[in-house]
Amino acid sequence: MLRVSGLARRHREASRALFTDLGFAIAAGEIVALVGESGIGKSTLLNCIAGLDTPDRGSIEIGAPAVDIVRLGEAARAALRARNIGFVFQAFHVLPTLTVAQNIGVPLLLAGVPPAEHASRTQTLLTRVGLPGFGDRWPASLSGGELQRVAIARALVHRPGLILADEPTGNLDPRTASQVLALLLERVRDQQASALIVTHSQHVAESCDRILTLTPQGLQ
Amino acid sequence: MRILVSWLIRAQFRSRRTATLLSMLAIALGVALGYSIHLINEAALADFSRAMKTVQGEPDAVIAARDSAGSVPLQRLDEISRDPEVLVAAPVIETRVRIGSLRTPFRLIGIDVFSAAAMMPGLLPRESERPDRVGILDGGIHASPALLAELGVQAGASLTLLRGDRRWSATIAGDVPAAGPDDLLLVADIAWVQEHFGPPDAVSEIRVRLAPDTDAAGWRTRVAALLPPGLLLRVAADDSERASNLSRAYRVNLNVLALVALLTGAFLVFATQLTAVAQRSTEFALLGVLGLPPRMRLLQVLLEGLAIGLPGALLGLGLGYALALAFTQLLGADLGGGYFSGSAPVIVPQVAPACGFLLLGCAASLAGAAYPAYLNLRQPLVEALSNGFSARPQVVRNRRRQLVLPLSLSLLAGALLQLPALFGLPLAAYAAIALVLLIGIAGAPLVTQQVFRWVADWQLPAPQRIALQNVAQAPLMAQVAAAGLIVSFALTASMVIMVSSFRVAVDHWLDHVLPAPLYVRSKASPLPQDLLTALDGADTPFVRVERSAHGALTLDPQRPPVALLVREIERSNPAARLPFSGALIAPPADLPVVWISEATHEIYRMAPGQTLRLPLLGREVEVFVGGVWRDYARQFGALVISRDDYQRLGGDFRPSDLALWPRPGQEAAAGEWLAPHALAHGLEVAESAAIRQLSLSIFDKSFAVTYALEAAAMLIGVFGLAVTLTASVWLRARELATLAALGFDRRMLRRALMLEGALIAIVGLLIGLVCGIAIGAVLTHVVNPQAFHWRMPLTVPWLTLLAGAAATLLAAVFASQQAARQATRLPLAQVLASSQ
Repeated sequence: MLRVSGLARRHREASRALFTDLGFAIAAGEIVALVGESGIGKSTLLNCIAGLDTPDRGSIEIGAPAVDIVRLGEAARAALRARNIGFVFQAFHVLPTLTVAQNIGVPLLLAGVPPAEHASRTQTLLTRVGLPGFGDRWPASLSGGELQRVAIARALVHRPGLILADEPTGNLDPRTASQVLALLLERVRDQQASALIVTHSQHVAESCDRILTLTPQGLQ
Repeated sequence: MRILVSWLIRAQFRSRRTATLLSMLAIALGVALGYSIHLINEAALADFSRAMKTVQGEPDAVIAARDSAGSVPLQRLDEISRDPEVLVAAPVIETRVRIGSLRTPFRLIGIDVFSAAAMMPGLLPRESERPDRVGILDGGIHASPALLAELGVQAGASLTLLRGDRRWSATIAGDVPAAGPDDLLLVADIAWVQEHFGPPDAVSEIRVRLAPDTDAAGWRTRVAALLPPGLLLRVAADDSERASNLSRAYRVNLNVLALVALLTGAFLVFATQLTAVAQRSTEFALLGVLGLPPRMRLLQVLLEGLAIGLPGALLGLGLGYALALAFTQLLGADLGGGYFSGSAPVIVPQVAPACGFLLLGCAASLAGAAYPAYLNLRQPLVEALSNGFSARPQVVRNRRRQLVLPLSLSLLAGALLQLPALFGLPLAAYAAIALVLLIGIAGAPLVTQQVFRWVADWQLPAPQRIALQNVAQAPLMAQVAAAGLIVSFALTASMVIMVSSFRVAVDHWLDHVLPAPLYVRSKASPLPQDLLTALDGADTPFVRVERSAHGALTLDPQRPPVALLVREIERSNPAARLPFSGALIAPPADLPVVWISEATHEIYRMAPGQTLRLPLLGREVEVFVGGVWRDYARQFGALVISRDDYQRLGGDFRPSDLALWPRPGQEAAAGEWLAPHALAHGLEVAESAAIRQLSLSIFDKSFAVTYALEAAAMLIGVFGLAVTLTASVWLRARELATLAALGFDRRMLRRALMLEGALIAIVGLLIGLVCGIAIGAVLTHVVNPQAFHWRMPLTVPWLTLLAGAAATLLAAVFASQQAARQATRLPLAQVLASSQ
């Protein structure tokens, strides 16, 4: 569950308002697309929700019971991200020095999941994203589509309540992009998580339950 | 979290194997040198202490003469023995004798067996079981097992003992079983020694054991106050302190060199960790986004530093032990310093110092990782995730502000250099040296920007211009690469300057103190009278002969004695024979004059023009200090007095050394004339050229360890440059790919990167040279006088330094070439595609 209320943020260097009074909510199990022109503030909004950027005003409540991430300190925000948020990036960001299984295991370590559960959860997720037996492989030997599947498994393995995805299919060819998107949506629904997907792709946006469009006047 | 930490550490080691291994080795080298120096010194001191205990026992007090030519009257022994608080008073006479044809003199210790049994059990003789044995009280002498082995004789054998012109025959009655394996000594009855060697009605020392429950400190204070000026009372702790003082400054200097190795190790950890942080900034940013707490981003880099330092330090301890064993074999127990000659210590690993050096190695490694860890913490996550490591160009906005740090550090260093030695050590000067290095590093960006910003405007081909512009902006990686070379070249250049200054000074000094072509010395005793009489004859092949006698004066029981040199020198013209370092003051006609060495001047605060009371010839004598002369041979001080003054004071001038000037054309005849005397009396005859050569070879040996460290420092500096340049290629992959897209071919990229590496090296070497000369001046003008009381003019060996700089520059260009090759292997199209 995610609830954003009265959110305002100015562009730090250009000194203009990116958004002034944003408010929206995403229910558990709901998948929402966030679209808008380049530079309008989509990524800044996503970063504010993840606690990686600080809004000038407003609140962002995550999970149940709800915690306002804006009011937390840096360490507490990191802890909230570790427990409640999963990320999927356009550039995959799979750690090249860790194996596939270790990459997927990182959120489990950060969320404090007992080590006895790690292997079974990792294997289950690898199977679900269509990469059974890939656990001991190094990222350098994987294709772009496979890397994004690893990233999806990593985003879901610790069972977060909120998935944040920034252009998750932006670096993939159309066929692979469709497969990866279908997988992402299916797994998010499986886990009854909320998801906010930033995208420029009409196809991705239309695949979601709802579309939010960020404009200079606010959300539409 | 521990699992994640271990994954990341293992991944770091896997991907940066060579850099990590070399960082470990550098830390190991620093720890190894420090630990080995400590082990060798501890072993040497323990051996010295054991030898002292064997010969001296464990007395509560020792009463001895301050002047080596003096003695303790027997009357004093009677008084001490009658003291109700004294349990045992053991008299000892000690002298040196030669045995047969052997040149080396050996200790002959005369004891009273009854008092020695209570006081010095280590010296108690064991009679032979031969039926024809001669007991110690019958004039038999006892040799230590080591001496018996050296001579290849057994009990019952007859020995010829020689001292000066005289010789005695003695029979070996047995051995001294408790003597150590290196103790070469003879023990005889004190009456027998006194009868044959003197002194009459006196002994060398009285060793005192006090009755139980006696206030030992109070007794010592009371008795010391009653002693005449020519005698002193010392305790066993004074001997240990004296032995420790003997090599203290030398040890500290070697330990500082070990710290230099640790510092360069810390710098290599810094370069490795900084490049690791820069290369993995996206990974760390991702982990931060996924929920890694901020303090863990800091801790992770520190732990990786520790993961280099801990095994490095452990390896260093093992290596240190091995080095200690090897050094004692190759250089002796004193590492070529000449303080513990003759002792052969057993190296024993020690836990507490090992823990200390282990911590020091870890601390150096953590210090090296601290700034990269801080940078890792400060990286903005979102920016690092998208664009990688953020190392923005340093633009000179306010030159005045940039000057504040180097100028403040310079003022602080200047103030530190005004401070005197603390605890007898040049600690403030060492701190000033560290500051000079910091000034060099802190000033590097300013120098780089000022020089290359001006050059960057020149009309040059594209690769050269790009390289110049990049260096002019002094990005972080260029600063790191230059800083490595600044530190390593500054330390190397300073050591080269210091050693060169010292060597040139010693060379000139030898010219002055070795005016004669030929020298004769008697090690054991005064020169034989028949030689001295023969030299006075008219038919010798010598045109001039100068005699001198050597003794020692104990001015402070906790310090090694000061050498007393009695020389045939003119009161009115001492500068003809002594290298004075300051003005000479003409003495009053009625006072004897002494000329003091620089060490005596500084240790005992004596100054020219002063009138002093010295414990000479068993009494206090008033003398005038006529001047200060330079002496590199006797670190603990020396006094020269003319033969005429010495004899006027009632001294018995018995020369032990001769300086001889052969008549022109009779050099060969002079050697032939001396040969029979040398053979008969075990004299050492040497030409001044040979003495000079030997002195300089001893000098070179004692500084041998510094050459190895200089080489290690330069290797580390060049390696640091290679690591940072290679890393910077990866960090600037997008920039290089963009240049390629704009029309740079791979050859142009390679040329630009090589030029950039060479320019950084030139900046590093230039600043390193300036810092090196400054540190060399501090070592020469402050550290050496404060630690060793040696003063010398600064000599900068430009040719050696420039050759070293050129070699380093070549190595740096080679390292840049390797980095540039990496650039040409970059998958440029892929890099461009991934950065869109």
